[in-house]
Amino acid sequence: MKSEEKYLRMSFSERIQHFLLLTSFIVLVYTGFALKFPEAFWVKWTAYIIGENAFEARGIVHRVASVVLVAVSLYHLYYILFNERGKKLVRDFLPAKNDITDFRDSLKYLAGKSENKPLFGRFSYIEKMEYWAVVWGTVIMGLTGVILWFENFFLKYVTNTGMDIASTIHYYEAILASLAIVVWHFYFIFLNPDVYPMNKAWLKGYLSREEMEKEHPLELAESEALKSDESKV
Amino acid sequence: MLKQSRKNIILISVSVFLISLTLTVADNFILSYSKDTETCLSCHEDKDLSMEKDGKKISLYVSPDHYKSSVHAGAECTDCHLNYNPDEIPHTKKTESVNCNSCHDNTGGLEKSVHTNVNCYECHTKHDIKPAKEMSRNQSENCLSCHKNKNVSKFSESIHAKKDIGCNDCHSGGHLTKNIKKSEVSALCGKCHNKSSSAFQNSIHHTVLKGGNKNAPVCTDCHGAHEVRMNKVSIQTEACLKCHLNESLFPGEEKGSAKFVKQYKTSIHGSIQKGEKEAAVCADCHGDHMIDSPDDPTSSTKRARLLETCGKCHSEVVEKFKKSKHGQELMKNNGKAPSCTDCHGEHDIKSTLLSDDFSKINIADKCLSCHKDGKIPHKNYKGEEELISGYTNSVHYEALKKGNLEAPTCSECHGAHEMESAENPASKISKKNMAQTCGQSNCHAKQLNNYTGSVHEKGVSENNKDAPTCNNCHGNHAIVTKKSDDKLAKSKSLIQLCSNCHSSVELTERNDLPTKVSETYNESFHGLATRGGSSEVANCESCHGYHNVKPSSDTSSTINKKNLPQTCGKCHPGAAQVLFTSKIHATDERNDSPWVFLISRLYLALIIGLIGFMVLHNVLDWRKKVKLRNKT
Repeated sequence: MKSEEKYLRMSFSERIQHFLLLTSFIVLVYTGFALKFPEAFWVKWTAYIIGENAFEARGIVHRVASVVLVAVSLYHLYYILFNERGKKLVRDFLPAKNDITDFRDSLKYLAGKSENKPLFGRFSYIEKMEYWAVVWGTVIMGLTGVILWFENFFLKYVTNTGMDIASTIHYYEAILASLAIVVWHFYFIFLNPDVYPMNKAWLKGYLSREEMEKEHPLELAESEALKSDESKV
Repeated sequence: MLKQSRKNIILISVSVFLISLTLTVADNFILSYSKDTETCLSCHEDKDLSMEKDGKKISLYVSPDHYKSSVHAGAECTDCHLNYNPDEIPHTKKTESVNCNSCHDNTGGLEKSVHTNVNCYECHTKHDIKPAKEMSRNQSENCLSCHKNKNVSKFSESIHAKKDIGCNDCHSGGHLTKNIKKSEVSALCGKCHNKSSSAFQNSIHHTVLKGGNKNAPVCTDCHGAHEVRMNKVSIQTEACLKCHLNESLFPGEEKGSAKFVKQYKTSIHGSIQKGEKEAAVCADCHGDHMIDSPDDPTSSTKRARLLETCGKCHSEVVEKFKKSKHGQELMKNNGKAPSCTDCHGEHDIKSTLLSDDFSKINIADKCLSCHKDGKIPHKNYKGEEELISGYTNSVHYEALKKGNLEAPTCSECHGAHEMESAENPASKISKKNMAQTCGQSNCHAKQLNNYTGSVHEKGVSENNKDAPTCNNCHGNHAIVTKKSDDKLAKSKSLIQLCSNCHSSVELTERNDLPTKVSETYNESFHGLATRGGSSEVANCESCHGYHNVKPSSDTSSTINKKNLPQTCGKCHPGAAQVLFTSKIHATDERNDSPWVFLISRLYLALIIGLIGFMVLHNVLDWRKKVKLRNKT
């Protein structure tokens, strides 16, 4: 019956944060690339459905989604600064020395040079990369996005060259972030044979013991040790 | 009274008888001719000598002076008055007419003339007979003394009378005087008027006359027989219309019918007040004597000769027309080219100022009646073939329909008679003159003012065939309204319009223009937004202006560095104090905006490296995990 034990992965607050992040992200990707590729079939279909004000609607929706994303980001900042669970979360996300050795060992293992699979704690180097990439991306997209949004105000300070740079960064960062999510994140959540068809933690909040054994053995051991300590007391 | 006169008669008769008796007695003694005539005159020189016959008093007076100066001065009275016995009163019981033939047995053909039944003395008088030469000198007076009917009597006022032409010049005169037959008239007049007559001999009138048509006119039908005058309007036109307005002579409604000719009466030619020399009469167009059949290709009213015919009066207009495309084609015998009458009509010719047909709106129909079929195509600003009939959809025509009389019709741009091809550099619509034509005062003067000095205008004035003038952007005939309710379509078509030239590699290279301007616009936010359906965003004209497009090096250009803050500030108020530090159309990214170039290359490297690594990592991960799963 041990396998039916549940291990909390994402609290309700974290799941809400994640949900808002993912929805606003998808909307931003959709409405953002709709500007860059106006003749793409999916843009034309959407525009056809929405009607003649599709272009204006696109801009508004993009800005609304960006506000949601920035708001979630700010809440998350508050969360990691002032919430106990949040504080622990960011501590666990901070890169550590063992991440480099884990990364090295993992590559060896994956390349078939070593039989020893490195054991991961709460967040592997994969998840840490993911997290900090989102932080980096949100900051970059947020800053350049604000410049582009309030071009009248910023023109004076950044000149037209600055506007060109901002839009260039905004565009390439968007490609990078989208590809990272698709290639990196979606693989581990959907295609990863260990969790296929989907890791449901973002919905349920819990992982099974089996999942814990495969993905987070160190965290499992830690929590078992904590439990046995408690039982000893 | 009666008794007294009878007494007188008896007295006179008795005295005559006594005198005659004495004379007869004397005659027996003196048998001389002169004495004999003298004897007669001794009584007949009395001016009061008269007798009564059938109740009429007849003067028996003979002027001795006249008689003695007459050609018969050598003849005895009794040579003519046969069987007269001077001793008896009356001298003869049976009065016989004087028979001139007894002496003048050669009558000179008198018995064949119209005067065969006229007594000699009617012309020659009785006793003061003049020599033939002297008689012929005053013959007309002589004739008119009998021929007092209205027509003949007008002869004395005629040009012939004034020029000393007498009756005999036409009617032969003397003993041969004759009536003139219709068929002889033209030949007869031709004796003097040989030019006119030979022209008439070739005319339709003469042809018809020879064919036996009794209504066909000869000289006298138009000029009159005796009252021949010199007067342009009153005689000639009336003479023609006398017959040609008669519907029984010229029935129907087609060309040549009385109804057709009648239109002349209300035409500008016909309605000018009588007597005005400027008005055209029938003969001015149709010729006077040599009126040809309208089917005759050499006829003065045939299209081939209309320029010459109308040009007799309208020389200035015809000269312009001859230089026109219409005129040149006409002179090349192009059967489709219009001549004067094709636009102005024939007999119903109206003043263009007063005629409805030449009102601004109707003149388009007139032109389009030939040009609507699109056989003479033009290219519009998009390079598509454009029909001239597109004019009826144009703003110009719409404005006319709404009653704006300032709006132009065909002739406004092409000229009415000038109607030159645009290829002719002198024409109003040649590339160089186009802007002046569109920009004439009251029309698009403001636009012309803006266009003047623009880079496009400079190009046109330097004969650069690539440089656009009005019609290259606006089209030729189908100049359409800017639809303010579809700003997006307008914006897109404008971008397309500018791109037609500015994205042509050939054209930009030939003129040393900046390249890739369309591409860079299309990739800019402005371009992307337009492509995505924004109607508000800037297109070419927002920054470059439209008529006053100038290069950025020009300090008055909207895109000169100095003016950019103001230009961009129209949409971006914050741009007013902006320093423009790099080119807007960064056609050469590395030099025009090195930062953008650097950042984009860095990102590309990052994307390829990082995402590549991620793909590799995950493929390996997947392979390992699948392998592990298969083991267990």
